[in-house]
This record gives sequence, C-alpha cells and structure tokens, in this order.
Amino acid sequence: MSIGAAVPMIDARERVTAAIRYVQDLALPGMLHAAVVRSPVAHARVVSVDAGAAREVPGVVAVVAGDDLRAHPDLAPAPTYGPQIKDQPVVALDRVRYVGDIVALVAAETPRAAEEAAALVDVIYDELPAVFDPLSALAPGAPPIHDLRPEEEQDREGTALYFDIRPQFGTNCCNLFRLRHGDVPQRLTQADVVVEETFRTPAIQHVPMEPHVALAAWEGDRLTVHTGTQTPFNVRDMLAALFGLPPEGVRILTHTLGGSYGAKVFPRIEPQAALLARVTGRPVRLALRRDEVFLTLTRHATVITIKLGLKRDGRIVAKEVHASWDTGAYADCGPNVAQKGGFGVVGPYNIPSVAVDSACVYTNLPPAGAFRGYAVTQAAWASESMMDIAADRLGIDPLEFRRRNLLREGDTFATGETLHDVRFESCLDHAAAAIDWDGGAARDFGDGRVRAKGLALVMKGMTSPSRSEARVGVGRDGRVVLASSTVEMGQGARTVLAQLAAQELDVAYDDIRIVDPDTARTPFDNRTTSSRSTFMMGNAVTRAAVGLRQQLIALAAERLEAAPADLEVIGGAVRVAGVPESAVSFGELVRGAHRQEMTETAEFRNEGGLDPDTGQGIASSHWHQGAGAVEVEVDTFTGKVTVLHAHGAVNAGKVVNRHTAALQNVGNLVFGLGSALFEEIVYDGGQATNANLSDYLIPSFMDLPAALTHDLLEKPGADMHGVGEIALPPIPAAIGNAVARAIGTRVRELPLTPERVLRAMATTTRGGNGPGEDDG
Amino acid sequence: MERSVAFRLNGEPTELTVATDATLLEVLRDACGLTSVRSTCGIGICGACTVLVDGAPLSACLLLAPLVDGATVETVEGLSGDEGALDPIQQAFVERMGFQCSYCTPGMILGTKALLTENPDPTPAEVAAYLAGNLCRCGSYPQITEAVLLAAARLREAGRAAADPSL
Repeated sequence: MSIGAAVPMIDARERVTAAIRYVQDLALPGMLHAAVVRSPVAHARVVSVDAGAAREVPGVVAVVAGDDLRAHPDLAPAPTYGPQIKDQPVVALDRVRYVGDIVALVAAETPRAAEEAAALVDVIYDELPAVFDPLSALAPGAPPIHDLRPEEEQDREGTALYFDIRPQFGTNCCNLFRLRHGDVPQRLTQADVVVEETFRTPAIQHVPMEPHVALAAWEGDRLTVHTGTQTPFNVRDMLAALFGLPPEGVRILTHTLGGSYGAKVFPRIEPQAALLARVTGRPVRLALRRDEVFLTLTRHATVITIKLGLKRDGRIVAKEVHASWDTGAYADCGPNVAQKGGFGVVGPYNIPSVAVDSACVYTNLPPAGAFRGYAVTQAAWASESMMDIAADRLGIDPLEFRRRNLLREGDTFATGETLHDVRFESCLDHAAAAIDWDGGAARDFGDGRVRAKGLALVMKGMTSPSRSEARVGVGRDGRVVLASSTVEMGQGARTVLAQLAAQELDVAYDDIRIVDPDTARTPFDNRTTSSRSTFMMGNAVTRAAVGLRQQLIALAAERLEAAPADLEVIGGAVRVAGVPESAVSFGELVRGAHRQEMTETAEFRNEGGLDPDTGQGIASSHWHQGAGAVEVEVDTFTGKVTVLHAHGAVNAGKVVNRHTAALQNVGNLVFGLGSALFEEIVYDGGQATNANLSDYLIPSFMDLPAALTHDLLEKPGADMHGVGEIALPPIPAAIGNAVARAIGTRVRELPLTPERVLRAMATTTRGGNGPGEDDG
Repeated sequence: MERSVAFRLNGEPTELTVATDATLLEVLRDACGLTSVRSTCGIGICGACTVLVDGAPLSACLLLAPLVDGATVETVEGLSGDEGALDPIQQAFVERMGFQCSYCTPGMILGTKALLTENPDPTPAEVAAYLAGNLCRCGSYPQITEAVLLAAARLREAGRAAADPSL
C-alpha cells in the first residue's frame, strides 16, 4: 500500500493541467463585485461618510458604511466579530484604527465600477493620537485603541475559545498570559551567571499566491459563502453570530486554497461579502488586490526580553521572559498567539524555575494573527539566540549546552505536564551532523568573507483540546468516498487522508473520491491549522475506515455464510481468506443490501488546556519537535548574508506520504530563509510602504542555499506527526546564531539585512564585545 | 473604448472585442474562461499569469490585450494532447511533485517550456536563473528544478528518437 511511499498528490493531474478549481475561479449567477473603502489614517473618529458621488457611478448598486448599520440594526444585529474578542466591526462604526481599516463597502455590476466608486467615497476623519509599537502602546498615557470592559472580556461562543483570556482593562493589553514554574527570584540568587537580552521581530506577511476571495449569497435567512478559508466551521459560527442566525443558517464551502500559511484563518473578508449580499439581495464576490492582502493580516511583530540564570556547569536554573506581541488594531487570535508563544518561548529545556509574562498588545497597525509557526518563530528567535549567548558566556559548545538542558522522555515541562514521545535530542543531533557541526568556529577567508555555522531547536504545541470527525462511505458503484472538513491548501491533506482510508479498505488511494469541506455536508473539524490534520483527522479517517470495513465484512459474512473472522478485505472486495473466487465487491455488497451507500463516521479528540494565570496544565497533547542547522557566509564589506546550507530535522513519527512530507520540510526551510534575511513590512506613520511584491521580497529560485536538506525522523510504532510548520521556526534563529559567530557580534532584530549586519559590526568595532545595540 | 483583436489562442483562431485598456489576463480569464492564468501580484513580478506570446513567456497582467493582435498565445490549457495525455513537462511536474498549492504551476510549466525551447539541456543554475521571475510561496523550488531537469532529459531523448528512426 501507499503508506510511507512517495506517491503523487491525488489531484496532481488537475493541478498541472489547471483543471483544479480555486475559489478564485468561481462565479455565481447574477453576482455583484465588491470594493473596499479603506482608511488613509491610522486612528480617527469617522465624522461623516458621503457616498453621493460614488452612488452616481454607473453600475453601482450599494454603498454601505457604519451609519447604515446604525440605521438598520437588523442588517447585522451584532456587527463586530473576532475569534477571541469581538472587537472588529464589519465596517467602521465610529472609528478607524489603522491605515487600511474598512470604512465603507461598495457593490457594483463590474469590478471596475466598484473600484471607481470606492475612490469617490468622501470620508471626513477627526484624527486621534496613534501608536505603532507594542512597548509604546503599553506605556502610561498611550492612546486607548479599544475600550475593553470586564463584562465583554470573554466570548464563550463558538469553538475557537478554549482558554481564558486576561485583558488588562484600561490598557492596550488584550491578553496577559502568565506562566509560573518554580521560584525564579530565589534561583536567580543561586546562579553563577545571569544574562539578559532583548530581541525583536517585525510584522511580515504570508503572501499566499491566491489572494483572499469570498462569494456570498442569501436565500431568505440562509447565508451561503464560498471562501478560501482554513477554518470553515469557525467562519460559519462567527458569521451566524454576526447576523443573528443559528449556526445551521450559514453554510461555508471551500475548495483547494492557493496557499494560506495562516493568512486565511478565521473570518477575513467573509463578513464584508455577506453584508453586501444582504444589503443588495444579490450574490457578491469580494476579491482582494495584493496591497489589500498586506492590510488584512500579518505575523505579530514582537519584543521579547529574556533573563537566564546559569550555573558554571552549564545548567540553566532560571528563565524570566517578558514578551509583547503586536496584534495590531484588532485582536484576532492574538490572545492565543501570546499564550502559545508564552510557553513556546520556554523552549525544549528542563528548567527548574520559569516566569513568563506574555502580553498581546493593540497598536494602530494592520491586525496580526495566525502565521505558519504560530508564535514559535518569534519566540525561538529570542530564546534560541539566548541559548547561544548563554553558551558563549559559559565557554561551552552551544550544542553541548543545549544537550545538558534538554527535555527528555518523561521529564516535566514548565507547564507541569509530563512529556512523552520526546525526540529533541535526536532532532538536534541529526541537524548538527547534517552540517558537520564544528563547535561554531568562524572561518575567515581573509578577503572579507567569513563563514560560520549555527543551530536552533524548538518545540511547538498542537491545538488542545480539539476534535476532528470524518465520514468514509462506499456507494453502489463500489467507490470509496471520503468526506471531511480538512481544507486542502497544498499540504496534500486530500492525498494523505485518502491514503489512510485506502490502507484500511485495500483500495487504490487515487480511486477515492474526496468531498470538499462544506459545513452543511461534511462533518465537523476544529480547523485546518496547528499541523494537526494528519494526526487528528488522519486518526478519525482511520477509525471511520476501520468501522466501514467491519460493516462490509459483516454484510459479506451473511452473504457468504462465513464467520467474519475468516474474511479478508482485498482490492475493493471482501472474500473468504485465501479464496479469490469467493470475493464480493463493495458495490455488490451495497447493492445487495438495497442501500444507496454505506457510511461510517468517526471522531478523534485530544484534550488539554492551561490556567491563564499560572500557565499550568496541558499545553499540548502532542508536541511538534524540530531542529535547524545552517552554514552561512557573511560578506563583511557589504554585510550581505548568504546561507550556504540549511537543514531541518523534524520528528515525523510515521510518514504517510514521503513526497508531501518532504515538501513541507523544504517549504518551511524556504519560508524561514525569507523571514531571516529580508521579509519585513515597513510602516511609516502606520502606512505600509512596501505592500507589493516588488518592494516586499519573498524567496525566489535565486535565494536558495546551495544545499537545502532535511530529515523526517521516524520510529517504528510511532504516531504520525504533523510536519506542516516545525522546520520553519528554528531557521531564523539558527541563521542569527551563525551570523553572530561569523561577525563576532549579534544582530538582535530580524530580518538580518546587510544594513543591520554592518551596523552591528560597526558597534562592535567601536565598543568592543559588549551588549549590542538594538538597531532600527 | 473598445477594439477588435484577433490572435491564435492554443491553436485556435480567436477574435474578440476588448476594452482598449483590458489586460490580457482579464481577457483570458473572463472572456475566454482560462483559469490557468492567475492574478497574484498584479505588477508583473510573480509569474503566476505567465503566458507564451509568440513563444516568449510574458506576464499577462501587464500586457494590454490589443497588443496580442496577430500573435500566437499559449496557456497551459493548450498543452495536454489528445485524450488528455499530459505534456512531458506536466508529466515531470507530477512525477517529481514540483508543486504544493499549485497556484504558480501553470506559470512554472510555461516558463519551463520557453526555457527548454531555448536551452534543451540546462544546468540547475540555468533553471534557477531562467525561472527567477516565477515565485512559489510554498517553496517547492528544489522539486520544480528536478521536474524541469527530468522534462529536459525526456524531451532530448524524444528529440533524438525523432531524428533517428532506428532508435
């Protein structure tokens, strides 16, 4: 069978012939096209919106602004939404909070008419003070961006919320996650060496090749939305709340996504498309331009300060962390990002005392949310840089320093949970071996070029608790049908899930028909995030397929007058073991039972949850584990960093499809290179100045290292492990560690641009090897 | 303002009336229904809307539709042979899994076709340089390179076989 093999994606043919359908390719009969009027100012009261001229444009059907929602509350009875805090209005009600915030919506017969009209909407703003970085936003006297009040602090509806959040009322902190383990002050007094450093990362963008698109249509009080989303059920529930409908009143359908990487998690443009469709009574298509994609969601910019208490023998005895996550103008899932980063920043080490304060902070920038690596890339940039700094202070090889502090099988993590299936050491050793780790010595060629190597190691949780359901069936034609709400987005989910069903039913995986996510027809799944689908949905599919096999065997047992234990399932048929002529095909069994189809639905759950004030509990039922190792060359004349070799070593447990698993690792390494070396949204007064693919670079063929290698670490009998994200987070930190060894000083802020590298070197030349300045 | 434009699209003579400021991307997607031509950056950087115009890979998002009057335009829809047989380049992309989300794939395949017409035996570095204007955010670049090299080898082999009937 195909499990563990390198087999092509089930839809490979459709992908190379372009027969495959993305939401971008859909049209609904009679549909209108939408355009968005966006705020040019970072923070303001909306004084007035004059749509008179816009409505005169031929083809314009409707212009909707906050006044319309106030005048007709039935349009959207609860006009704000958000997965953890309902703070984002479907269209600005009285304030705009970032450059790009939605102040009005236009629907017209053509995209051109909609765009033309949007440009004619005349908005008068009364500007308010604005703030663009999380530390300023937390300072006393900072302009309040939302006025969160205790009575609205928690939203217990829907499935997104599984942990309590702690807004700091009267400040811009929308969640303060605390983790407390052991006695940090006491341990610090016992430390031989204490080191403290601050690290920064910028906002970056996912840049899915397919921009966001949604098509919404109403039939009476029922809403249907076709949208490119990783989260069909979350979008369903949040739209239902927004429009005052029961969850079943909203139907969300999706197809394969042209990339997402977190960009299409939770409602992005679906509320706006649905509102316009409700106002106009016609289907509406809303498709974003590339510049608008940059304004729709980013990865959290961060400032993270870490203090480590060390013993001379190389043991870490205390870790104290203050982290700020810039969630922009709306919280989105930022509160959860601060939590995940709050324990992720501890790292895969056994540390007797840990104290983390992890704050999710509003600023007047575009909202930040889910992004491949989900908080761990930023956390690892700080914590894995700090591991090298600490090793150097103690004069210990950074590989050996990590080994002395590693979490091992059965150890207790800072959250109080006991870890199993622990493979950090194996990941680290494979990564180090792949680059011929040499202790981290710099090699100076004497012509301006210096080479050095670097390592990093990370742990990442998987959404806990969560639930996945799958339905596997067989019809009268004998063909196996697999229905789940796992979203295909290029990761190969359709293929891997089909392989798992095929394994139990002994059919060819590429003969299985896949039903795309449709909240009215496919069973429930939390969402396609957190590298959870292969493990969670995979197990649900396996259970459903096993159940279906048992049903088929039971039917065949009657028909063949044989004991079920004597039957076997081979090649889409059931037969008496070893007797080919007794075979009854699946189709014959279904037809013989006078059924249209036989189906089996099964679910798989995991459990967990953390106390928001102590961080104690179960952070994750299943840990993603991975290491990165690189060799870099720095041109000390220009500051340019060239990565010569990048390697990712991840725990894969049991690989289902060697092609798609390898593509995940390689893709993560390439993503990591961009994040490390050049990706950054540059804001000026809150305005994104490089919101296009000419000024915002993503890795191309020309940016690849000469060697790009990886390990998928397996173990007999191990569980399947998702590998969708885990090779990414160690890469920027590993590159940063290698660059620090090459130039003898450290850049503490991503990305590692030539300017930053040169400035760090100049600082060293002037001031010796002291604490480097954070550069800007 | 509108005008008539006549061109050969995937082998078929095609005549359309288009707005003078319509891009080839808009016309191919909206009027001709060719969804392989994909809008991503809108400014000719990413290569997702690559089409072959008289054999040259061009960004359809930057090309005004009237400018293809009299030209030959090829998209991925025109590549598969009779009865849906895959082109050798498409076949190589499947075998080497040279894609993930595959939004960039039509552009990559047409870029490869142009490359292999110019240079039937490229080195990996030449592949990278030629396709540098085709972005793949999923980062499948190593697998794409392998697919291109496999397709090149097969096309050379097929060319030799065609040139020497004794083979």
